[in-house]
Amino acid sequence: MSNPALYRRVVRRETHSPRSGLAITIAIVLVVVLAWLGTESVLAAIGQPALLVAPQDAVTAVLSAAAAPAPLLVALGAVVAVVGLVLIVMSLAPARRGRRGATIDRTAAIVDDRVIAQSLANTASYAGDVDPSQVTVSVGARRARVEITRTSGRTLNTREIQEAVDAELATYDYRPALRATVRLSEKGTVG
Amino acid sequence: MNSTNRFLNRLFVFVAGLVVLAAGAAVSVGALLPDAQSTISDGAESAVGPATDALDAQPWILWVAAVAAVLLIVSLLWFVFRQGRGHTGTLLRIDEASSRKAPSGGGVTLDVKVAAQVLEEAITRNPDVVSVDVAGFRVKNENTLRLTAHARRGASPVELRRSIDAAVAEWDAVLGTSTPIVIQIVSGLRTKFAGTNRVA
Repeated sequence: MSNPALYRRVVRRETHSPRSGLAITIAIVLVVVLAWLGTESVLAAIGQPALLVAPQDAVTAVLSAAAAPAPLLVALGAVVAVVGLVLIVMSLAPARRGRRGATIDRTAAIVDDRVIAQSLANTASYAGDVDPSQVTVSVGARRARVEITRTSGRTLNTREIQEAVDAELATYDYRPALRATVRLSEKGTVG
Repeated sequence: MNSTNRFLNRLFVFVAGLVVLAAGAAVSVGALLPDAQSTISDGAESAVGPATDALDAQPWILWVAAVAAVLLIVSLLWFVFRQGRGHTGTLLRIDEASSRKAPSGGGVTLDVKVAAQVLEEAITRNPDVVSVDVAGFRVKNENTLRLTAHARRGASPVELRRSIDAAVAEWDAVLGTSTPIVIQIVSGLRTKFAGTNRVA
């Protein structure tokens, strides 16, 4: 009864951001501005003093702003245009959430990149016989970087660690798949 | 897993960005071209008088503006409040004689809480799991369970999933049918405070 189409949909939705925060922020800003404009309109219509700016004054100000000095207008327009461009890019970007989906079976599974990083760090620290605090792992979109700080006075076999990390990665079935690079830090610690 | 309309979110952000970009570009490009600026500012200055006169003489323009603002506010609030819906507390509903095999003479409704308690108990037996949250969602007209397992630091996600799948198989046997289940293996604050598992 498990439904592959449903699972694929859920995995896609859980690995990408819905952009809700951004959309809600823009909507709330618009609501505040519209509420203010509406209030000013009503106040002007019933002849009460304005809250901040009366509509008549606002229209005059906007229309006469076109005559403002050119550099000021250019700078203002450029800033506004850049904000708009950022919004367009954010609306089109895939917005990955640092998670990846595993193969679909009876269940679908989504794994946080941090869990993968901690597991790889654990593997590397066992394979190299170093303290877990001396291993740093960062997981990118397709690449996991394992960095190990040596204990001074002890040699470290990078190949063994690389093999152990690769063996761990080979058991993973996550998309997008990861490749690991093991690197020794240039600094050492006193062990 | 919620039913947020993501396309609508992105479309909204895109349109807002397009309007802001167009406004900014129009202002700066218009100001860069001296001819255009002088034409527009002359036109605008001659329009100041008629515009304020119109607002003074015809207050219905202000009322229309107020009503339009209210309508827009309502639709924006609808847009905000329809985000994040889709939770359900019901896992399964078997109606009276819905099929030949089903027992007749009454309906059965099974709460998500039942599944939550059974699965939490079974999954937290694994020492690599700090805690489990179970939530029900309605996805594509099917009630779907989401299991969020907080992994202990350094736990292998592959083995974790295998053990959770075993618990799910037990639950399927208890339930007698299977509903879609999505597993999330995460690492968060609870992982941080729980410490590592010393026995490997």
